[in-house]
Amino acid sequence: MERKNKTKKSSELIDYIIIGNSAAGLAAAEGIRELDKAGKITVFTEEGHLNYSKPMITYFLAGIVNLDRVSFKDKKFYSVNNIDIRLNTRIKSVDTAGMSLMAEDGSRYRFKKLLIASGGKPVIPKIKAAGTDGERNRHFNSIDAMNYKKIGGIFTLTTLEDAVRVKDYIEKHGVKRISILGGGLIGLKAAEAFLEMGIDINIIELENRVLSATFDRRASEIIEKKIKNKGSNIYKNNTIKEIYITDGRISGYRLKDSRKMECSLLVIAIGVVPDTGFIDSGKLRINRGIVVDDHMRTSVKNIYAAGDVVECLDILLGENKNIAIWPLAVMQGAAAGINMAGGNKKYSGGFFMNSVEILKVPSISMGMASAEGGKEENIEVLKDFNQEKNIYKKIVIRNNKIIGVILVGNIERAGIYAGLIRNEIDISSVRENISKEDFGIIHLPADYKKHLVVGEGTEV
Amino acid sequence: MALKLTQSEFETERDENKCISCQVCVRQCSNDVHEYDNDEDTIYSDNLKCVGCHRCESLCPTGALKIKERKSQFRTNYNWSAGHLKDIYRQADSGGVLLTGMGSDKPNTVYWDRILFNASQVTNPSIDPLREPMEIKTFIGRKPDRLDFKINGSGKNTRVELKTKMYPQLELSTPIMFSAMSYGSISFNACRSLASAASQFGTYYNTGEGGMHKDLYKYAKNTIVQVASGRFGVDADYLNAGSAVEIKIGQGAKPGIGGHLPGEKVTKDISNTRMIPEGTDALSPAPHHDIYSIEDLAQLIYALKEATDWSKPVGVKVSAVHNIAPIASGIVRAGADFVAIDGLRGGTGAAPQTIRDNVGIPIELAVASVDERLREEGIRHKASIIVGGSIRSSSDVIKAIALGADAVYIGTAALIAMGCHLCQKCYTGKCNWGIATQDPYLTKRLNPEIGTRRLLNLLRSWSLEIKEMLGGAGINAVESLKGNREHLRGIGLNDRELAVLGIKHAGEAW
Amino acid sequence: MPERPGDDRMKRIYIQEEYCIGCRLCEIYCQVKYSKSKKIIKAYKEEMVDILPRVLVEEIGYNSFAIQCRHCADAPCVSACISGAMQKNKNTGVVTCDEDKCVGCWSCIMVCPYGVIRRDLAGRKIVSKCDLCVDEDIPVCVKNCPNEALKFIEKDENEKNMVKSRNGKKK
Repeated sequence: MERKNKTKKSSELIDYIIIGNSAAGLAAAEGIRELDKAGKITVFTEEGHLNYSKPMITYFLAGIVNLDRVSFKDKKFYSVNNIDIRLNTRIKSVDTAGMSLMAEDGSRYRFKKLLIASGGKPVIPKIKAAGTDGERNRHFNSIDAMNYKKIGGIFTLTTLEDAVRVKDYIEKHGVKRISILGGGLIGLKAAEAFLEMGIDINIIELENRVLSATFDRRASEIIEKKIKNKGSNIYKNNTIKEIYITDGRISGYRLKDSRKMECSLLVIAIGVVPDTGFIDSGKLRINRGIVVDDHMRTSVKNIYAAGDVVECLDILLGENKNIAIWPLAVMQGAAAGINMAGGNKKYSGGFFMNSVEILKVPSISMGMASAEGGKEENIEVLKDFNQEKNIYKKIVIRNNKIIGVILVGNIERAGIYAGLIRNEIDISSVRENISKEDFGIIHLPADYKKHLVVGEGTEV
Repeated sequence: MALKLTQSEFETERDENKCISCQVCVRQCSNDVHEYDNDEDTIYSDNLKCVGCHRCESLCPTGALKIKERKSQFRTNYNWSAGHLKDIYRQADSGGVLLTGMGSDKPNTVYWDRILFNASQVTNPSIDPLREPMEIKTFIGRKPDRLDFKINGSGKNTRVELKTKMYPQLELSTPIMFSAMSYGSISFNACRSLASAASQFGTYYNTGEGGMHKDLYKYAKNTIVQVASGRFGVDADYLNAGSAVEIKIGQGAKPGIGGHLPGEKVTKDISNTRMIPEGTDALSPAPHHDIYSIEDLAQLIYALKEATDWSKPVGVKVSAVHNIAPIASGIVRAGADFVAIDGLRGGTGAAPQTIRDNVGIPIELAVASVDERLREEGIRHKASIIVGGSIRSSSDVIKAIALGADAVYIGTAALIAMGCHLCQKCYTGKCNWGIATQDPYLTKRLNPEIGTRRLLNLLRSWSLEIKEMLGGAGINAVESLKGNREHLRGIGLNDRELAVLGIKHAGEAW
Repeated sequence: MPERPGDDRMKRIYIQEEYCIGCRLCEIYCQVKYSKSKKIIKAYKEEMVDILPRVLVEEIGYNSFAIQCRHCADAPCVSACISGAMQKNKNTGVVTCDEDKCVGCWSCIMVCPYGVIRRDLAGRKIVSKCDLCVDEDIPVCVKNCPNEALKFIEKDENEKNMVKSRNGKKK
């Protein structure tokens, strides 16, 4: 009986529902509109900002952009594309069998086609906590994903809201040094922002180097040197074992090596996982992320998924993987949208790639960049390090094809390598050109050059 | 190393207010004249290497460069001119034959500039070529002795049929053809431009002694193939592909001697076209080693006619030398369908300077005496006369025809149209304009699309001017001008010269 | 995948590699266009240094060609752009970077397979890329190429030219 009262609020059948208002979700909306100008599209997001780009969070933090410039679609985007955008509406559950979903306020919606583009959520480790000065912290013996927000000064940095709160906290408490747990991409991007703001940082990293997933030793060293030169610290092969709380706010922590550090603001940035908890999976296959095919279809008919929440083809591994980066999210979303609207667009797979600039040293890494030759068969590594200029170039080759690249200091024309990786080009005929400083299109094998530019450029 | 007595001949004048150090001149000069100094952010020029080709000046985006002749002055000496002194310095340095390129630049009388053309006034009205038919179409080949007709039917059904069998002819839309320039002396792109322009305009170009490149076979209908003393590229396909065959006995720039393409320039492509091994020198001997008398020449002419099934005109090219008149007569009697005469000032890719400037006679005098002699002997119709050797403008063409030529060959003029600046350094193979070189870096500079366009423009503009001049003289067909000496007058020429040319002096009338 | 409408009919810059003479006048005129005064001598003598040309000439031995943004149909730079600065105009097909929105993250440089986007460090940290000289009737690089190696023609026309030249090719 009660149920009926609730459903009378919304039993409307919506043509296309998209969960997630970011790269994948909006690329899909555009894709749908290419083929279907009339169908109703509703986008749900749990956040309150109309539109913003997640990678831009740290730029906002550093003051490089203000709230007006964090968006990646302009204000008229939703009206021009006739998209019904529902802010502050977290989806509580998705009924994959019944083709409906329920928001946290209880309203229910049915859909013809659904796109799950809910992205990722930050990983919060469980860490022992203790009050200082003998104060017994009755509430917390440890911090975890459920309660970390209740302690002042502990933040993650994955949403704009996080950035706004961090900025306010810094101002309010005059924070001069910030600790970052995690020396990966988000951690380093946050570090970059804080350094830009003139704040010193401590980075605590589990592995023996920062950016361990994407850089090799040498590349990490270059970045680490730059950070340390500025009066900041990096604690490698380390982690936080215990957090100290004073007056409801973090005041310090103890490292694995027993050192105790003072701290008024801690950013937890050890990683993200696909946000799939709200899905009643049933027939929907979920590993680490939602499993999709090359048309972004999940295992349930009419339900698609794209972006940081999915697992799909990694062309270098040859198997499904969750690769949470912006360009792939956009491409996946575009493919999903076209396919949802009845078109046929294949997503040909992706591989990891990232661009980050720390203290004026730009760097780009792509593919399996940390691989080293020798131990693994068929892997060959070309390296070129110019110590004076702090320029590093590393190329990983497997079976005569490039599978990984690191560029530090000089990132000119990096995309050419991305093209070679993606198209799996045999570079044996131009091996000696690859290491050249002015490596360009002209050095590529003749038939790839033709492929690359015939009809759109060079008549070779 | 002893002191070198050679001096710079040119200097590059750079306006520092305009020079933006963009380095285009540095990149474009194949003689490495300009060099960029990174520290000073300026460009320095080594004038000793400059050949005066103007490439840098033409490409400079701000017009900052000017090429000037650097006339370091000697004490005035009418006998020992600066040129003589410099030549001796060069020879003392090198011990070799002084080579040069293009045509003779010595101050011999240019007779074209001493001949004036006529115009109609009262008795013979002018013709406006834009409104009335004006025929400049020309046929090259042997003309029959007489025309016999057969008349069929009678009254209204009378039909006239030509009984006489015509000899093979070349049909030219204008009395101008591109003269022989071999692939090897000029680049492939240059050859292609010539072939393409000839084909589009309806005239002919000549392969020279380099053979016909396989990619140019598609222009075969507009190609005159040359059989020179080295017989490069000559096989049955070659002979049958061309529209006419020209036996080359001599060339205006270097009468009496053969030709030489150094081995370094015999690339794979040239090797294939000339049918000689790659990297070997391409030597053309002075005589054809199977032509030692006029009878031998007749034999070769008929052999070629036989080989081409008597379907094409077969002619002979000679240099204009002292006895050109009887020589031409002999050639015509030997069966040639056309005689091509190349005068003293004809161009070349490489020739010894002393032969280029001192051997042969100017084409103006040659054509007049040949035309006169052949008419006297009643054999003028048996062969067309084609002249070359520095035809520089449409008025030169008109005068040549009036002196007796059927058509002209232009060589230097065509190259100039494509960009040549007459620096005369063709023999170095470093032509900055991509014309007289095989260096792939340089040959790119001649875009055949542009080359063809410029040649077509040249042919078109000269043809229009010819029509204008013909019209002005009241003539409506170039046929009527041929050998018509009455339309010419000499000026500033002595009696002897006027007599050889067969023209009156300006001011004299009938 | 359905091509965005208008892509085939739009004029693009094509290069005939065999006629590029490596003079780099295209780079120079591109720089002049983006200078303040747009006058070549003034730009070079007074304003210059850091203006990046958006076309770049690659050279190896005697081969050279100029390459610039291809304004791809499915432009990877547009997908990779985190700020929405890189956009493809639906009507003209031209891909442009809105310099006010660009934050210099270099993601586009990371994905462009032609490598035709450069970092512009002179002023604000942004990228520099060819925009097909939308305010000129013919791109300045094409107009000023002394050997007509760059052509500004429609895609279909170019394909016709290429088929012709492959048949009659001398190589």
